[in-house]
Amino acid sequence: MLNLAPQNKLGLYVDSLLLAGSGAVGYGDTWPPGLRPEAFGAIITAPVSLTPRKGRPQPRVAEIPGGFLLDTGGHNPGFRRLVESQARAWRRLDVPVILSLAGGEPGDRAWMAAHLEELEEVIAGIELTVSENVNLSETAAFIAAARRATPLPILARLPVTRAAYLARTALIAGADALIVGTPPPAAYPASKTLVEAPLAGPAAFPFTLRALSLLAELDLGAPIIAAGGVYSLDDALLCLEMGASAVAIRGLVWRDPAAARRLSINIRPFMPEEDEG
Amino acid sequence: MIQVRARIQERETRGAVHILRLHAPDLARQLHPGQAVLIQTGWSLDPFLRRTFHPIAIDEATFRIRLAPDADRGRAWLRMAAEGTEVDALGPVGQGFSLPDHARRILCLGQGDAAWALLPLVRAASARGVGVALAVEATTRRQTIPARDLPLSVEYHVATLDGSAGRRGDLRPLLPDLLTWADAVMAVGGMDFYRFLARAIEDARVILPRGYAQALYQTDFLCGFGACQACAADVAGGRRRVCLRGPIFDLVDILR
Repeated sequence: MLNLAPQNKLGLYVDSLLLAGSGAVGYGDTWPPGLRPEAFGAIITAPVSLTPRKGRPQPRVAEIPGGFLLDTGGHNPGFRRLVESQARAWRRLDVPVILSLAGGEPGDRAWMAAHLEELEEVIAGIELTVSENVNLSETAAFIAAARRATPLPILARLPVTRAAYLARTALIAGADALIVGTPPPAAYPASKTLVEAPLAGPAAFPFTLRALSLLAELDLGAPIIAAGGVYSLDDALLCLEMGASAVAIRGLVWRDPAAARRLSINIRPFMPEEDEG
Repeated sequence: MIQVRARIQERETRGAVHILRLHAPDLARQLHPGQAVLIQTGWSLDPFLRRTFHPIAIDEATFRIRLAPDADRGRAWLRMAAEGTEVDALGPVGQGFSLPDHARRILCLGQGDAAWALLPLVRAASARGVGVALAVEATTRRQTIPARDLPLSVEYHVATLDGSAGRRGDLRPLLPDLLTWADAVMAVGGMDFYRFLARAIEDARVILPRGYAQALYQTDFLCGFGACQACAADVAGGRRRVCLRGPIFDLVDILR
């Protein structure tokens, strides 16, 4: 087993280097054909906010050369309804579930984190996304607030273009691991409407690599999960060579579940035999 | 839903339109009229998104998709793919048309190229001995379904905006009689077409009752299994994932 949160007393133990990235399988309730929970070391849910969000109307997706832009507008059922409807299913999943908490009003994420107490046997960690436009003190504030609210491992998802700038602050504030990360935002028309969203698809991979490269120079001593543009075993192995402890996939699950399954099998031999964390 | 390799078994060209017959027995056996199939186009990860098709014919081992001329590079790749080429297909997506048990006479209404998605339903209903009237409204003859593609028992009406086939104009004048005759309606078209249909039903039958008309919500799918939320649209009283709740909805749910 690999511990992705060695500094946390609860730890975050995974039995595969491959994680289902944020929303790849929805909230753990939507699985493509041929892909089962055991393909992944852990699953990260789609982001959930304190209150329900209707999200943006159509169109939500635009295809671009080498990928796509997807803006759901944060569409989600809200924290309370999600937990009520999914807690039992999460218990049955037999794979660590990392709940992605979406921002909103100040304190929302800390409130949600605090109310995961009853689910600590079910939820293995939380993902907090640091948005593109926050500064160091804001980053520190909301991660520290979540840290005070829950003992669960915190995975801070950083924007790739600012990962090196924000990483140490996120860790000092209480993050146990970093996810690198959110690709840069972009815009492209679909049905005569501009869809604005972080770049997704293979085109995001070079941004992930650059962020990994910069973080490697910082020698942070915390696990880093590479996410963004990983579509093959070669991509995944390159991320591991560049210092990532694990990789997360999302678009590959959506586009080609069979390829995601093959990757989950082919990456298994590269699992470290013993975690020294 | 399953993911399979589908082989292009046959290509039929009708002018600029290509009709591909894809051999994929496991998928064909699961397909119902109105459901979607998502097909990867290209040899690599580009184009990234699968293309969404509603098959125009389904049999035990194969299904057919229709490629009308357009500027999309994914469909252009499919138009050029040789017979024997294998493509990756994911499906069936969502819920298809459901022929009500009580239905003895159904009216199928289609608009433009999308109308072709009604063909499997027309054939299935006709084979069950249900009386079928098909009415298609199109811009021009090229979009219309040739009568030779229909079972002999089907009553067929065509209206084209340019008058190149059938009556000139839209279907409006035909609907009162057809709607009085039919005890169920199945429709494929755009939202304006559905609003126009709803008004026509209310005119002919006083109200638009739930269960009387089904319609296909046209959208392109990304994952097709509910995870990505790309297809969420305002249907059935909320913003819902079309791949799970649709793409066939009660007409009442599409409009409200």
